[in-house]
Amino acid sequence: MNVWLLASCAVGLCLVPCAAMCLQGSPERRLVGLEMTGTIVTLLLVLLTMGFHRPILMDLPLTVAIMSLAAGLVFARFLEKQL
Amino acid sequence: MHTALAILLGGVAAMCWLGCIGMLRMKTPTEALHYLALPAGFGAMFLVAAVSIEEGWSSATAKMILIAVLMLAFNSVVAHATARALRVRALGHWQPSPEDGVEYLPAGSDEERR
Repeated sequence: MNVWLLASCAVGLCLVPCAAMCLQGSPERRLVGLEMTGTIVTLLLVLLTMGFHRPILMDLPLTVAIMSLAAGLVFARFLEKQL
Repeated sequence: MHTALAILLGGVAAMCWLGCIGMLRMKTPTEALHYLALPAGFGAMFLVAAVSIEEGWSSATAKMILIAVLMLAFNSVVAHATARALRVRALGHWQPSPEDGVEYLPAGSDEERR
């Protein structure tokens, strides 16, 4: 266990309040929870990549960072009228 | 070096937790949106510093810098698009217009009670 994995445990636990936000409340609050989840998962993947000494896997959080933009914009667009 | 790493990674975890708790505690979604900036801004910058301490100048550090820049840029775009969508959903339009009367205040917010 190294300091990176310790930090990833602490950041990983942040997904619990994110899940609480996503699973209850109005659709607007759930969207905010989804966007926070995307941000937290990006940071978490960087911490795990460094914790397991696999810097070559840094492409994974890079992909998640780009995809969370698309997810946020698509849901925001649908939230205006359709959802 | 190990101490600096621990402090920076502690900062990352603290920013994430502050953001999540703030997001949960806010009454309206528009207020909760602001707390996305803590992990996306400060958390990513602390992580860039930590990765560069650990790896020095390498492809992993370059990718981490790219991730941080993307997170900063995308977070503001998504937050703005979401706030606009919330306004359209509530009022039917996002442009300010005289019919809105006073600035639209979400039900139950502090400003409305004052």
